[in-house]
Amino acid sequence: MLFPTATFAIFFLIVLPLSWLTMPNVHRWRPFMIAASFIFYSWWDWRFILLLAGCIVWNQVLAVRIHRTRVQSQRRALLWLALAGNLGIVGYFKYYDFFVNSSDNLLSLVGLDAPLSLKSIVLPVGISFYTFMAISYVVDTYRGDFVPTTLEKFAAYLSFFPHLVAGPIVRPGELIPQFDTPRDPRRVDTSRAFYLIATGLFKKVVIANFLAANIVDEVFGAPGQHSSLEILIAVYAYAVQIYADFSGYTDIAIGLALLLGFSFPQNFDSPYAARSLQDFWRRWHMTLSRWLRDYVYISLGGNRKGTLLTYRNLLLTMLIGGLWHGAGWTFIVWGAIHGTGLATERWWKSRPGYVAPPDSAGRRAVERLVTFQIVCFAWIFFRADSFATAWDMITGLFTGWGDPSPLVTAGVLLAIAVGIGSQYLPARLPRLIMERFGRLPVLGQAVVLALALMLTNAMGPEGVAPFIYFQF
Amino acid sequence: MATESHPRPRARPGAVPRRRRTGADGRRLGTAGDGLLVSVLALAIGTLLTAPGMHKSAYNGQPGFKRDVALAVTGPLAGISGALLLDRPRALVRNAIGRGDEDAIDVAVVLPATAATAKPPVKPAVKPAVKPDATPPAAPAKVAFTPKRKLRLWVAGDSLVITPGYAIVRAAGGSPVIESVGGVDGHVATGLARPDVFNWFEEIRAQTKKLRPHVVVLNFGGNDDKRYMTGLPEGVTITEFGDAAWRREYGRRVGGVMDTISRAGGHTIWIGLPITRNTAQTQRFDIVNAVVQQEAKKREGKATYLDTYTTFAGDDGGYAEYLQDASDRTVKVRAGDGVHFERVGGDMIARIVVRRLNELYDLTSWRHKPRAAASASGSSAP
Repeated sequence: MLFPTATFAIFFLIVLPLSWLTMPNVHRWRPFMIAASFIFYSWWDWRFILLLAGCIVWNQVLAVRIHRTRVQSQRRALLWLALAGNLGIVGYFKYYDFFVNSSDNLLSLVGLDAPLSLKSIVLPVGISFYTFMAISYVVDTYRGDFVPTTLEKFAAYLSFFPHLVAGPIVRPGELIPQFDTPRDPRRVDTSRAFYLIATGLFKKVVIANFLAANIVDEVFGAPGQHSSLEILIAVYAYAVQIYADFSGYTDIAIGLALLLGFSFPQNFDSPYAARSLQDFWRRWHMTLSRWLRDYVYISLGGNRKGTLLTYRNLLLTMLIGGLWHGAGWTFIVWGAIHGTGLATERWWKSRPGYVAPPDSAGRRAVERLVTFQIVCFAWIFFRADSFATAWDMITGLFTGWGDPSPLVTAGVLLAIAVGIGSQYLPARLPRLIMERFGRLPVLGQAVVLALALMLTNAMGPEGVAPFIYFQF
Repeated sequence: MATESHPRPRARPGAVPRRRRTGADGRRLGTAGDGLLVSVLALAIGTLLTAPGMHKSAYNGQPGFKRDVALAVTGPLAGISGALLLDRPRALVRNAIGRGDEDAIDVAVVLPATAATAKPPVKPAVKPAVKPDATPPAAPAKVAFTPKRKLRLWVAGDSLVITPGYAIVRAAGGSPVIESVGGVDGHVATGLARPDVFNWFEEIRAQTKKLRPHVVVLNFGGNDDKRYMTGLPEGVTITEFGDAAWRREYGRRVGGVMDTISRAGGHTIWIGLPITRNTAQTQRFDIVNAVVQQEAKKREGKATYLDTYTTFAGDDGGYAEYLQDASDRTVKVRAGDGVHFERVGGDMIARIVVRRLNELYDLTSWRHKPRAAASASGSSAP
């Protein structure tokens, strides 16, 4: 069940009033929301709910055991067991074929066959997201940062449909307490919710789909057939496409949760206005970045074990981040570019005698420009279906200047300009829009929202393209 | 139970102090009721504003109960929207972006009347296909292409053509005598059975006229393995997918597309549907392939059917997601959905297409000819 569909609209219009009607008694609300979320998830394939239910039970049982066990070695063993279960599920569904195929090709170099056979495994949607949230729950319990809750609350937390399939990755401490405290129906941030839903839909349906259909897919499909200008613009277009697609999805998710009375953490904060890679990762997929920081980087030792190990930890964290996005070497290279970039930045700023130059508009512009180019270069590997395509894209950037560029149209340039320009809008503008919207009477709000939906529908393509991050 | 219940929102005088309904940033907050009411009203108004588009989407849906209900609901809504002029804002936007005609439901199947299609399809009046044991006639001289006069190639079809299409375009880019024109015209979830979803008959006629391709590579049928067809001629009823009436009508459309291309001076290379993970789907694809193959046979010299079934079958003859490549590496050739292709799979199809192009045309002799002769040979059209 995709957000921008009539099916989901009907589903949500049923769930929204029932959620508020059952809310006064959370013992009724929680089973209701679990049931609603399971129906939402089973829309893809009913068998997926068995996996989700298994994940809930497994992590709850082990988190409670970890909490009750006093012997450190036993707690550690239980933690490893929980992690093995979570990573085992993801590993099997997402990476099995990748590892078997890679090892087969490696072994074939020395004339051996891989010991395992390939399977055609269907990837359950959202598995990477909810297993990461489950890991947060178990690790936070192990670290003593969170006391395990009841099975019912944990099930509601993990399966809550607004975040279930593509995040944001909400920490247990952020959401579970909200399930304890009944939401006040007199204090719902409706103007922010509708603003996020309307802009999220526009970003996904109009901007992302337009760029994909009009330049990105065609150029990445056959880079050798396109001019350097088309390739360059396609790379920028993909940067905007993936931002509009993913941030659009999470905006809708955050908006829906707000209408139900719950708040999710922010997931994007104008990432293409970042002044360094470190800054970029504070603004891009923020909930994944902090997950990687808290559960991978810090677990590896963070910056506490010396300079060299800090660089190693940065690189490893980003490699894992790359692999999380997809079972492919191109994703690993994408992670390696970011990891190397982060380590280089750290080295540059920590070298003896380094003095940060004074802040100025020119300096900020240069830093933003350089960061954006590095991010876009890394996106080439993220989007390319193989190294051959990535290589064709990179070489094509230098070999076809002056060739005709029919794909570089005013519409494409406008969509890119809107996508990048939106990152530089003053923060008070959305606030002003929400404030004005909030002052309108109910009918006025409905008309404005309906016009926004109409505009999105009129400018968008026929049908609904899946969200990029669903495959992760 | 009572411990986790919270006081009902209705305020008892004096019990709960009224808080100002503003958020942390000072903005005014709404209520759950407001949220619900705005959602319902916005969707209701939005439905009326977008009713023509919704009706088109409903019409384009797969036949069945859902489509019937959607049509029954959106039809009257589109009528009300039109009567109240609420469809105008959307039409204005659509016209402004040059998509004003996209809400029209077009089921016209316009095909050229040819010997192959005008005669009763059961007994085609074309010359029987060449028997395998018959002595082949002397092969006519192949039409030669040169770097100065390149073979113009256009690729079109449903989603199955996209990955192989780009592979073909890449392969064309590597050849000095093949020129890709029009890129890859791939439209997801389309086919020849449903011109209302996307009218390929019009598209192919328009594009062949505009691009003048020497070769058109097509791949259709992945979405046509169903009973339901729009644009049926008067009196034609299809009871079941694959029955005689279905085969006749689908054959008429396939043959018509091939004739449209050959009349525009092009040769059709039709990529057959591949084996899929789903056995029932593969069996349905076999029926589609048989019709296409038959129509291509009727138009020998003007159309070619390329079988991909065995290319993507494993050692056991069944579906294979991974295959060995030329250097004996195991490579993923099929996408996770069990139907579409990975890049390597697309490359495999591209190689078959290029091989066929070399069989059909002389793409290499220009290398051995003096410059003047080479350019002269390119003056003949295929």
